[in-house]
Amino acid sequence: MTRAKKILILVPAFNEGRVIGRLVREIRELYPHYPILVINDGSHDDTAKKAEEAGARVITLPYNLGIGGAIQCGYKVAAEEDYDITVQIDGDGQHDPVYLKTVLEPILDDKLDLCIGSRFLSESSGFKSTFMRRIGIRFFSHLLRLLTGIFITDPTSGYRATGKKIIHKFAPHYPIDFPEPEAILIAKLYGARIGEVPVKMRKRLGGISSIRYFKTAYYMIKVTLAILIDMIKKRY
Amino acid sequence: METKTIAILFSIVILMLVIEMIRRQKMTFKYSMFWLAACVIVLFAAIYDGLIATIAHFIGFALVSNFVFFTATIFFIMLTLLLTLYVNEQNNRSETLAQAVGILECKIKKLESDLSDQQKQK
Repeated sequence: MTRAKKILILVPAFNEGRVIGRLVREIRELYPHYPILVINDGSHDDTAKKAEEAGARVITLPYNLGIGGAIQCGYKVAAEEDYDITVQIDGDGQHDPVYLKTVLEPILDDKLDLCIGSRFLSESSGFKSTFMRRIGIRFFSHLLRLLTGIFITDPTSGYRATGKKIIHKFAPHYPIDFPEPEAILIAKLYGARIGEVPVKMRKRLGGISSIRYFKTAYYMIKVTLAILIDMIKKRY
Repeated sequence: METKTIAILFSIVILMLVIEMIRRQKMTFKYSMFWLAACVIVLFAAIYDGLIATIAHFIGFALVSNFVFFTATIFFIMLTLLLTLYVNEQNNRSETLAQAVGILECKIKKLESDLSDQQKQK
């Protein structure tokens, strides 16, 4: 008989004091058996206190590392404490915890190693995005298809579940800033099975996107270069 | 003053500066090696300036000064490359440290609260 899979919910949060408590309570109500780890990425507000009060375990980083550094920290904990699956959900409340099960299921059934929640797969997605950002997302979809052969409709989505094999690869090596599209490529290079499931996203409850509008051009150039460089990097 | 004298003077001043910084422990040996070596080479080239002219002409530089500028540029390019590497290394290390500190702090808090729970029960 196989033992039940150990699942950890990772919530990276930077200055989300106004919404993090509500989010943690929401997740706990829906999935009371899964431990929640909030990685407080050097916030200047009471994010840590609010998350702890709501019942999450909190790791506070001494200064802001950026989303990649925070998530990597979560993977390190998951690897060290022998978790089988992690589910990453943004601390700003944009990802509706209702869909956590949807994102988790393909990994639980051992169909995928990395499962991404896409806002573009479902027809009636209420998600509104700027024109520039949609173009950016499209661009990365095609770039990744060119390099990996798999088509991901929403490569910048941070709503994703990761299996054990990839947790142990991500713990020592994870891209630092704007990590989402890059992480897909890295996972693929490690031989992960990658797929998508439809999710709906909500309006941001607070905070600001790590990909700000005026930074889109920089974001695209940086991530494109990083992805291309990843192709020639030495693998460990 | 002769250019030769100026070159010798400057290299001696920089050499002494570097030694002084090592003495005050502002520069570790690892990083000072580069500068010490550079100072000694410049000093040597300034004293035996005929040697540098011979090398310059041998490689094909019409002007000795061009050769000197070229060498200096290469030196600084290499130095900045090296410094970029060091900065990067420090960056990676401090990031790993930050994550380790965060994880440790979390564990300590857990242990402390477990301990105080135990003491309350007694």
